[in-house]
Amino acid sequence: MFIVFYHVPFTKTISMANIENQIFSSYQRNPDLYDEIYDKQGKVKEIYQKLFEIYGEHTISDYVNLNSKAKSSFFNQGITFQVYGDNDVQEKIFPFDLFPRIIDHKEWDIIERGSIQRSKALNLFLWDIYHDKKILKDKIVPLELITSSANYLDQMNGINPPGGIYNHISGIDIIKHNDGKYYVLEDNIRCPSGVSYVICNRTALKKALFGVFNHYQTHSVTNYAENLLDLLESVKPKGVDVPNVVVITPGMYNSAFYEHSYLAKTMGVELVEGRDLFVENDFVYMKTIKGPEKVDVIYRRIDDQFIDPLEFRPDSALGVPGLFAAYKKGNVTLANAPGTGVADDKAVYTYMPQIIKYYLDEEPILNNVHTYHCSRPDELKYVLEHIHELVIKPVDEAGGYGISIGNKLTKAEIEKVKVEIKENPRKYVAQPIMSLSVHPTYIDETESFEQRHVDLRTYTVMGKDKEFVLKGGLTRVALKRGNLIVNSSQGGGSKDTWVLKK
Amino acid sequence: MPNQYKITYSTENTYENWVNNAYWQFLIIPMENNTQHHIDVEFSNSLFAVNDFSINGYGFKTIRVHPKKKFKKINFEAQFSFIKDHIDPFNFPLDINDSLAYKEIKELTFKINFEAFLRSTVLTKLPNDLDSIFHFNLSNTIFENLQELNKWTFNNFQFKAGVTKVDSKLTDIISTKQGVCQDFTHLFCAIARQNGIPTRYVSGYLNQAHGLLGDSQMHAWAECYIPQIGWKGFDPTNNVLANTNHIKVCHGKDYNDCSPLRGIIYSHGKNKTTHTVKVHSQEQ
Repeated sequence: MFIVFYHVPFTKTISMANIENQIFSSYQRNPDLYDEIYDKQGKVKEIYQKLFEIYGEHTISDYVNLNSKAKSSFFNQGITFQVYGDNDVQEKIFPFDLFPRIIDHKEWDIIERGSIQRSKALNLFLWDIYHDKKILKDKIVPLELITSSANYLDQMNGINPPGGIYNHISGIDIIKHNDGKYYVLEDNIRCPSGVSYVICNRTALKKALFGVFNHYQTHSVTNYAENLLDLLESVKPKGVDVPNVVVITPGMYNSAFYEHSYLAKTMGVELVEGRDLFVENDFVYMKTIKGPEKVDVIYRRIDDQFIDPLEFRPDSALGVPGLFAAYKKGNVTLANAPGTGVADDKAVYTYMPQIIKYYLDEEPILNNVHTYHCSRPDELKYVLEHIHELVIKPVDEAGGYGISIGNKLTKAEIEKVKVEIKENPRKYVAQPIMSLSVHPTYIDETESFEQRHVDLRTYTVMGKDKEFVLKGGLTRVALKRGNLIVNSSQGGGSKDTWVLKK
Repeated sequence: MPNQYKITYSTENTYENWVNNAYWQFLIIPMENNTQHHIDVEFSNSLFAVNDFSINGYGFKTIRVHPKKKFKKINFEAQFSFIKDHIDPFNFPLDINDSLAYKEIKELTFKINFEAFLRSTVLTKLPNDLDSIFHFNLSNTIFENLQELNKWTFNNFQFKAGVTKVDSKLTDIISTKQGVCQDFTHLFCAIARQNGIPTRYVSGYLNQAHGLLGDSQMHAWAECYIPQIGWKGFDPTNNVLANTNHIKVCHGKDYNDCSPLRGIIYSHGKNKTTHTVKVHSQEQ
């Protein structure tokens, strides 16, 4: 679909009325929060100064105008998602904020090195727990953590994934705490989504405000697909010359279908569903109008339990019968590998500093949030006594479901949470309430900019002996005032994220 | 004396309506091991669809069939012939150090190495309110305790077909005290694992010529890992140790890892399936 060009040149002369109605005139700064654009004294930080000047020359109504155009562009392009758990499932656009987040090259360097370090450590951890299990024998990570995980796949024991890679694509969620340091909140190494928003946000922002964008030397994000394809091709099965790569999707009713189609399109590969593939003689083929075509690498956006009804859940209509046998034989690469979910369990997260030290003999570059395990009696006691100052998370839920934030609970709710934890301590971990940094975000209801909490999801892709971190990432915004949960399924929005060259 | 075995496995499936798409995976081929060898496999289906020989996620041989045309009826027939060596289940060293064996099963490395067969699964989960229904006597050897458990299961539960299903939970079996070989085996596995003994569910064929109880289709028994001895087969349905009459196909944590036939049929309406297994043996 052709997108209306809605660039509004910021060249109007400024009238007095405009100045009174300046974009940031009603921005209220809570000094207890870490504001990404203002320092403690209320001065705009250096990297934001240019942006602040340009935006500051304009009125809220100019901004509203641009913002609504950007929104309709998203809807027209079909960049939507669905929220599960609502009674009436409907497509929504991922709310987008035109005021970008900027990360300078020094800070980015920490994030990038830290993301690679974690992804590599997780990969070595996965290799180990599906082979010799040394980390368990050396008592660094308790055996129960693995055996009690629903995501540990016995069938993966002893399998050597092509190129030795399990977590080809890792989505690492990072926040900036009020001490100004970066912390990892969680590692997503099953089918992390959201990268298409990063690219679409950039496209939308450039269209709306290219006059602004050009004042900064920002790294491109549109090179994601080519790098992804390159790295997926590097983990091709043995004996394959030029691999045939496909993206497999659960179908158009999946919340991330837009992304699946986007990635296939931009990589220039086929987007398939389970019924488009079949297995014969332990090789995977795609049905085409010219007859069967062998498939070598599958970027799968289907969960482990659904990939092969003959090996895992028999009621899965999404997968390909016989796919796992082909994988086990080494005739096809699955990215990410089956069974990676065991390592992004929130209980495993708490061992990440030890895991990094054990395999890489390095200190973690990115901090971990201190975590209390409710499965340990002394820590359980602490958690039960301090619920009001902790976040309680179930270890195996993704997407921000089932999280309780202690200082937001009533007395009755605290008692209810206590009962739930006591009933199933292994299911919960607790962390101190982190104060996510805030970023000025345009809020429809008040027609002004307000502080909103943000995080950052980075995308790391690993191939055979090489890796790539997308220089950008998805800055997610918690749109409800004071809300700390930024997941899109919990009503979050997003911002374009600029990583500056020197 | 080695036995020359011939096993015929046949199944007939009829459907009320046309089936446009279907997949089957058979896990029925006797495995090759140090007592089963020279295995010859013949497999055919009435639609002349390709029989795809493969290996499943646990390393056992399978046959996959995916007909390319619609059908209302399909028959499968398999014939296996092989040599089974004579097994003397009591042929193991007698000079076992019991205290060392009991010590070994408590060690972390042991628990990690045998983790999959110490874990409780949906089908081998003992009811929570039940502390333990069978206790090991630690003054006896592990082998003796397992023999005792074999006998206990056999004596306290009645073999009766039709009261349980393949996905029946132990809670039901313990309350009705009835079941078939899968149920006896699941219960045996659960209790042995609760006592720290790695135990795997075994699926295979039973030579019923000697009056042994079993299904007319496939049989199930258990294998336990005993330090200094190795894996030993126990058949709680018959209160015997696995012997020359037990022909192993595969093992796993429970029935779900071993189900002989998995099928995905894209159709609606009624269907009818019959299975027959014939085991024929000849001492050489």
